[in-house]
Order: sequence, then structure tokens, then C-alpha cells
Amino acid sequence: MKKRAQTLSRMKRQENLIGYLFASPWITGLILLGAFPFLASFYISFTNYNMLSFPRFIGLTNYRILLSSDTIFWRSLGNTFYHVSIAIPLGIVLGVGLALLLNNKVYGMSVYRTMFYLPNVVSIVAMALMWLWLFQPSFGLINEVLSPVYRLLDIEPLRWHQDARLAKFSLILMGLWAVGGPMVIYLAQMQDIPNALYESAEIDGASWVRKTVSITLPLMTPSIFFNFIMGLIGGFQVFTIAYIMTSGGPGRATYYYAYYLFDTMISDQNMGMASAMAWILLVLVLIVTMIALRLNRYVVYLGEES
Amino acid sequence: MTEALGRVLPGLRHRRRIRNALLHLVLLTASVAFTFPFLWMLFTALKTPAELLQGTAAFFPSVPQWSNFVTAVTVIPFFMYLMNSLIVVVLVMLGTLFSATTAAYAFARLEWRGRDVWFVVMLATLMIPIQVILIPTYILYAHIGWLGTRLPLIVPAFFGGGAAFYIFMLRQFFKGIPKELSESAIIDGANHFQIFGRIMLPLSKPALITVMLFTFMGAWNDFFGPLIFLSNPDHWTLALGLRAFQLQFGGRFDLMMAAAILMVIPTLLIFFFAQKSFIEGITFTGIKG
Repeated sequence: MKKRAQTLSRMKRQENLIGYLFASPWITGLILLGAFPFLASFYISFTNYNMLSFPRFIGLTNYRILLSSDTIFWRSLGNTFYHVSIAIPLGIVLGVGLALLLNNKVYGMSVYRTMFYLPNVVSIVAMALMWLWLFQPSFGLINEVLSPVYRLLDIEPLRWHQDARLAKFSLILMGLWAVGGPMVIYLAQMQDIPNALYESAEIDGASWVRKTVSITLPLMTPSIFFNFIMGLIGGFQVFTIAYIMTSGGPGRATYYYAYYLFDTMISDQNMGMASAMAWILLVLVLIVTMIALRLNRYVVYLGEES
Repeated sequence: MTEALGRVLPGLRHRRRIRNALLHLVLLTASVAFTFPFLWMLFTALKTPAELLQGTAAFFPSVPQWSNFVTAVTVIPFFMYLMNSLIVVVLVMLGTLFSATTAAYAFARLEWRGRDVWFVVMLATLMIPIQVILIPTYILYAHIGWLGTRLPLIVPAFFGGGAAFYIFMLRQFFKGIPKELSESAIIDGANHFQIFGRIMLPLSKPALITVMLFTFMGAWNDFFGPLIFLSNPDHWTLALGLRAFQLQFGGRFDLMMAAAILMVIPTLLIFFFAQKSFIEGITFTGIKG
């Protein structure tokens, strides 16, 4: 009996070792390329460091400069908030809407699904170049298609990404082209809803609208919430489309937060300031996520028990 | 009663048919909006510069300029970019497969101290904006002389860089494989390395394929990583090459679309042939995540 207990504990110790062995590549990476840089960037954010000389500790100076006297910082933050607060709700409405349409047992559902998803596999650079051409004010496809409308209303053709007032919205519009990604998730969750729920609602005489509002949408809140959080994290880091299409212009209209951070880091090599910006970004994302998680309790349906 | 039903049913069927027709009309319109840009890209790539200036007046290319594709691959070192992309993509795929499967096995099948804490940490890394760790890693790579080489794009993949989603996905998949299989293998004297290599991996082919597809797409399309780390033009990937193309020939949308199509075609083909794995992978991360 005693011997058996000993072998058992030896096996346990062995499994412990093997467990760490299997996880070791990932854990090594997490410590060296995750935890260490994470803490280091926090320290660097309190220094003045340009990669040439030694980092010099300057306390909260970077944060103070950014928050109190850097107008570009606030401008880029405002641009980013604009982007996030319009792109995410629009994306959710459009994605859920398309999924609802496809959830009607329509013939050819998977073909439609494929077509809607297609833009998601396109390289973001290729996508940006393509939309640059579609938005082209004088002979781009969008203005050509809209030209009867312009004539009817007797207005000048819109200049899309070249118009400071319209540039941010143009980039949002272009982002909606990839709404098929979240839509696939919504659709899958809709199809997971047990048919019995709809059948009993039908017996009670519920209409399509009623079934959608009372059954489908509440049961889909987990995937909507998932896409909302992912959209937030991604949206706060929007960079490439502006870098390729507008260079942050016209007149800084699409100069997003991540773009300013990139310039501070790569062009100015001001690593202290860039780190401070990164940490402000992290805190912002965390705060917004926390708020969302709080609301989540009231909004997201988690099953009968919870 | 039956008579009344007989009167109601044709009306219902009629209404359903109208509803279905409307539904397809909306869906077809949406499909055009999502897919027509691809066709327009192709039309543009086959036009002459003069036709470009006519907009939709010259809707189709009158004489397809296939030579635009030849020009596109010769005015920039296209094949060098392609090779560079392939080098990075293949190595990132290998690295991710290695680090994600090993970690997933540890999380799914092994008892080790602190496992659950590490697991939560892994999920938390998904929330952290890359900029927070980018700057110190950039400084680190600069100090060890890796800036300007491909190493910063490749080496992290072997250590689970960007693999949190895949680890999670594979862990769930491994957990679904009957435990009896590995238990009987242990009785037969197999160790964990043999179970991992001879039982788990062969049985997880669909999940491994999904991971490979997603890493391929991610690495092939990645722009930000190469932009930060690949300062040497000889190492540029297609994404950077396309950007260089834009800076050099910004007005020539015919050539630019030709180059863009060449970069997009592999991802479209892979998606068409592996749709099922894709859709399953996406819905997996979205619903069970």
C-alpha cells in the first residue's frame, strides 16, 4: 500500500515535469517576449530614451506632456474614438442583419456565406489599394455609380477619403466590406439555437419579428459581445488602412492613435514617449472592456442558471 | 375544416414564395456589393491607362492587357518578394504548429502545478495591444542585431508568439479525443511523447489544418510586422512590396491592381479549397471562445 502511494506521487512529480516540458516553448516565449517587454515598456514610459544614449528617468514627464500639452495626441485619440464608436455599432448591425437573412433556411445559404466572407482573406494592403481606386473621386467606380444621384440632387461628387470631413467615415465604410467575418460567427450561433424554441413560439402564433426579438437576438448576445470586444481591441489599433490610403490626412483627419504611436516610435525614435502612449492605450482598452463586462451581466444571456 | 385549410394554404404558399424572392433579391444585391470589387480589380488590371480615365464608360477592357501582369512583376522584384514571403510564411507555420501543439497538449492532457493560472494568463494576452510589448522587443532586437533580418518575424512563432488562439483551439480539440486511447497506450508502456506524436497529432489533422490555414493567412497578409522589422529591401515580403509599388507607381491603378491580384490569388484559392476548415475555425473561436 505504501509502495503504491510512493509510485503514485512519483508519477505525479514526473507528470508535473513533463507538463512544464511540453509547455516550455510557450512559457519561455511568454516570459521573454511577453512579460519582460510588458514590464520594460512600463519602465521605459518613465524615461527619455532615443536608442542612442542610455534611458534617463524623468518620472511622469512623458505622460504630462501627452495629456496636458500635446494637441496631436488628443486629436489622434479623438479620431480613434470616432472610428471605434461608429465602426463597431455599424458592423454589428450589418453583420447580425445579414446573418438573420441567411438564417431563413434559404437555398444556397453556404454560397452566400462564402461570398460575404471572401473580403476577409484579402491582404489589407491589397484591400486598401483597391478601395483607393474605388473611392477615386473623378473616375472611381463608386462616384461613377452615384453620378445619377449627384446630378439629381445637383451636388458636387463626394471626395471620400480626400475630404477631411468624410475621410474617417470613408475608411469605416471600407471596413464594413469585411463584415462577413463576424457574420459567420453570428450565423453559426443562430444555427445552434434549438428548433424546439421556435416551434413552441410558432404554436403561440409568434411572428418572424417576434421570434427574432424574443428568441434569436437574446440567445446571440454572447457572440455579439465577443465581436464587440474584439472590435474594440482591433479598432483602437487601427493603422494600416490610414497609412496606405491617406497617410493620416487630409489634415490629420485620419491620423489615428496607433499611427501617432508608430511615428513617435519609428520616425522620432522617442521610445519613452511611445511607451507612455502604449500604456495609455492599454489602460483605455482595459477600462472600456471593464465597462463592457459590467454591462455584459445585464445584457448577455448565459443560460437559465446564471 | 379541411376546406378552410385548403383555401388558406395556397395563400400561405404564395406569400412564402414572395417572401423568398424578396430575400434572394436582398442577398443577391449584397453578394454583388461584396464580390464585385474583385471583378472590378480584374477589369482594371486588364485596361489601358487611357481606359482607366473613362471610368465606367469603358466598363470592360476593350483589349485585355495581359501584359500589365508581366509589367507588374518586372518593374518590382516580384519574385524576390514572393520568395521572402514564402520563407517567412513557411517558418511561421512550422513554429506555430510546434509551439501551439505542445502547449495545447500540456493544457489538455497533463496535470502540472499552476496549469490553470497559466491558462488564464494565456487568455489575458489576447487583450493586450501589441504596441505595449512592441517597443521593448524592438529595442531588444536592435541590441542583439536582429533588426533588418527576418528573425523577429520568425523566431517568436516557435515560442508561442501570436498563438494563444490556436493553443486554445487545439486544447479543446485534444480534450475531445477519448482518454481511453492514451490510457491504453500508457498501459502498453508508451510515454507522453509517444502519445503526443503517435496518437494526438494524427487524430487532430482537421484542427492542425485549420491552424495552418490561419497562420498562412496571417503571415502572408501581415503588413505591420514586416513594416517595423524588415528594414532591408532584400527581405521585403509581398505586403511591403505592394506598398513600395504604390509609392513608386501611385497613379497606375492598372499595374497596381495587377500586382494586388497576384498577391491575393493564393489566399482566395486556399480559401475556396479549404472553406470548411475555415468556417469551422472561425465559428469555433467565436462561439466557444
